[in-house]
Amino acid sequence: MVELEARESVASSGGRLDAVFAALADPTRRAIIKRLSVSEARVTEIAEPFPMSLNAVSKHIRVLEASGVIERRRQGRDHILSINPHSLDEVDGWIETTRRFWGVRLDAMERVLGELNKTNPLGAKDGPDG
Amino acid sequence: MADQDVAGATVQVRRRVKAGAEQVFDLWTKPDLMVRWMSPFPGAVDCKASCDPRPGGTFSLIMASGEARREVSGAYVQVDRPHRLVFTWIGPLTDQVTTLVTVELIAHGDETELVLTHERLPTSAMFEGHTRGWGNILDHLAEAVLGVG
Repeated sequence: MVELEARESVASSGGRLDAVFAALADPTRRAIIKRLSVSEARVTEIAEPFPMSLNAVSKHIRVLEASGVIERRRQGRDHILSINPHSLDEVDGWIETTRRFWGVRLDAMERVLGELNKTNPLGAKDGPDG
Repeated sequence: MADQDVAGATVQVRRRVKAGAEQVFDLWTKPDLMVRWMSPFPGAVDCKASCDPRPGGTFSLIMASGEARREVSGAYVQVDRPHRLVFTWIGPLTDQVTTLVTVELIAHGDETELVLTHERLPTSAMFEGHTRGWGNILDHLAEAVLGVG
């Protein structure tokens, strides 16, 4: 069992997973995934409920495709979108999510320690060495 | 690395900080310190914490930012200042399932190594085939990783 610091773990899980998280950062893109998790759909069907241009929705779709979360295939003149369920395997068990949650929390904890020890340097050395 | 099975998954995170173990332990058990770093919301937030750090005692964290609100609670299983803190953790990240968190503090001179083990996490197996699972996954991702609701 190899144990890694959260930061190393994030780096080692590669740019692909980072791309997935970046893709999920937007509420429109999350809504598109939720729609596609029900069934595959044409691009125009996906765009319909959103109060934005087809072009704007297409940009979000391209981000999701680049991250590997959704896939596109052609059927005649139609472009059919579907979810790639395996793309979320690494995050859907809460494992990577939980790891990142604590990574972010521990970053915040370290910031508080830094603040506390700047004004009250108990238990910590001065200076940013090491 | 994480182990995963139907009984729940385990995540371990290590961090070495420039502070004494007592000070780090207090950050986990004193409400006025907990509120300064436990909230997932960036910027100004309304965060309240209460805790009774003894075996069987409970804690609760209520964090709010605008319309968004998150609540986490649990009970202490083991309280051994400044070495070891074990508590249950129930919150949106765990899909309201009771999970177990162990925080071990190992002194290394002026520094402290923190080893956090989060066990009994819900896994995808528990949600397979449920659209609800997808919705939860996406919402929790947004919340836990991105700090938004």
